[in-house]
Amino acid sequence: MNAPDQATPSSGHLEVTGLCKAFGGVQAVNGFSFDAKPGEIVGIIGPNGAGKTTAFNLVTGVYTPDSGSVVLDGVALGGQRQDEIARQGVGRTFQNIRLFKGLNVLENVMTASDPYADYNFLAAVLSLPAKRRSDRQAAEKAREYLDLVGLRGLEDDRPEALPYGLQRKLELARALALRPKVILLDEPAAGLNPSEVREFIDLVKRLHERFNFTIVFIEHRMEVVMNLSHKLFVMSFGKLLASGAPEAVRRNPEVIEAYIGEEE
Amino acid sequence: MDYIYSILTLTGITMIGVMGTYMVTGLTGQFSFGQAAFMAVGGYVSAMLALRFNLPFPLAAIAGSAAAMLAGLLVGVPTVRLRRDYISLVTFGFGEAIISVLNNSAQLTGGAEGLVNIPKRVDLPLVLGSVIGCLLLVACYKNSKYGRQCLALRSDELAARSMGIDVNRLKLVTFLFASAITGYAGVLYAFYAQYLEPGYFNWTVSAEWLIIVFVGGINSLTGAMVSALILSSLPELLRFASAWRIIIYCVIVLIIINYRPNGIFGDWEISRLWKKSAKGEKA
Repeated sequence: MNAPDQATPSSGHLEVTGLCKAFGGVQAVNGFSFDAKPGEIVGIIGPNGAGKTTAFNLVTGVYTPDSGSVVLDGVALGGQRQDEIARQGVGRTFQNIRLFKGLNVLENVMTASDPYADYNFLAAVLSLPAKRRSDRQAAEKAREYLDLVGLRGLEDDRPEALPYGLQRKLELARALALRPKVILLDEPAAGLNPSEVREFIDLVKRLHERFNFTIVFIEHRMEVVMNLSHKLFVMSFGKLLASGAPEAVRRNPEVIEAYIGEEE
Repeated sequence: MDYIYSILTLTGITMIGVMGTYMVTGLTGQFSFGQAAFMAVGGYVSAMLALRFNLPFPLAAIAGSAAAMLAGLLVGVPTVRLRRDYISLVTFGFGEAIISVLNNSAQLTGGAEGLVNIPKRVDLPLVLGSVIGCLLLVACYKNSKYGRQCLALRSDELAARSMGIDVNRLKLVTFLFASAITGYAGVLYAFYAQYLEPGYFNWTVSAEWLIIVFVGGINSLTGAMVSALILSSLPELLRFASAWRIIIYCVIVLIIINYRPNGIFGDWEISRLWKKSAKGEKA
């Protein structure tokens, strides 16, 4: 266990500048920039197909950007492998929940801390004391994360057997186990009912208070966006349309035309 | 009695071979159609060292497993980056290539006539001990961070990478470990049968191991072992039915796959029995 349990308030500064990515003839992300200061909660909104998820995939290294830079606490993440970026403290959840089938709830959370476990192959196959100690600590930690998101008592369940809302929470617990400095949430409230949404907002606030990490989230639900974000970025056709304080962005006529106006 | 002994011994050796297939296919979800080739490498290398250089058995056994692991490195480094379907092609090709090499380097290996006069160093107790030993190693591997990360990447590679898992490295480590174990099965076979021929290790053996793993339960080491025990001794037990036995074997496999698509055991492991009872005591 070499990474600190809590991100210090000075870490988790994510700066994304001039991000571009084309798939064939489609310019999915076209010079998009945003930044999140340590401990900030930042929302990214925009119409469907604006390139929000692609932007997340570029930050986390799923795709390599055609141009532009991603910098976390002064370290350039561009060009690094997906798993290297993750281990530097970039956690995420997925729009269409991607839990590990074949592992139970507890093991799902443990996998995210396993890359930090410091025992070697020999200790593993011989089940040496160092390995058992490390695994026991990881399991304890994982239980703590499950407790935080409200999944206590479901450790042995199959993730695919959980109700949808709980699967979202499990993804969150798994992302916590990575001990992220920045956590990226891709439409975390999609598919939740109104009471679950309120519960979710409280949960994110609680986790943010406890861990002090930076949060960047993509969301369509205005309730979530307005309640959580300190700062808002609006994306449209791969570009930054507007940014600023949530209330100011909400009143911006351009934004209303491109996005919010559609809903009315 | 000798007959039953030999069935048990060969079944034990098959079980060790199946452990390799289980790791590659069950844990990391890659299809290895050339797993038996690693058995050939282990068997031939150890036997030739013993015959030509009079290496004592334990050293020859270690050298055989190490050589299989080296062969695993050769195949593994380029293949772990590939998509699953390509991996089965590459391993299949590699397996058949090994058989060709063994067949065509007659001066070294005896070619198609086989390698003869290997000293007998392996008996039933050693095989049983080896089965238990290897099983413990593999079970511990599955139950460690390695096993967990393997199952995670088998289920969803992209999500696994996002959780910081170095997918390629884990696949390679697992592949190497599996090659070494399978190579050791080859060592046991060589010093038990006292005779090796390339044809014994062709792709049909690899395919049979895959069938065993699927019948037992793709995610269950327990299942793989039970299924290896049954399916590899079945053709012998059905010997009375002579020509019909292959058909009976196939029908049994088809029935199981049809009614239990996840295999007999699915992902159930026998270790859950004592894990559960331990938890019960705590509560």
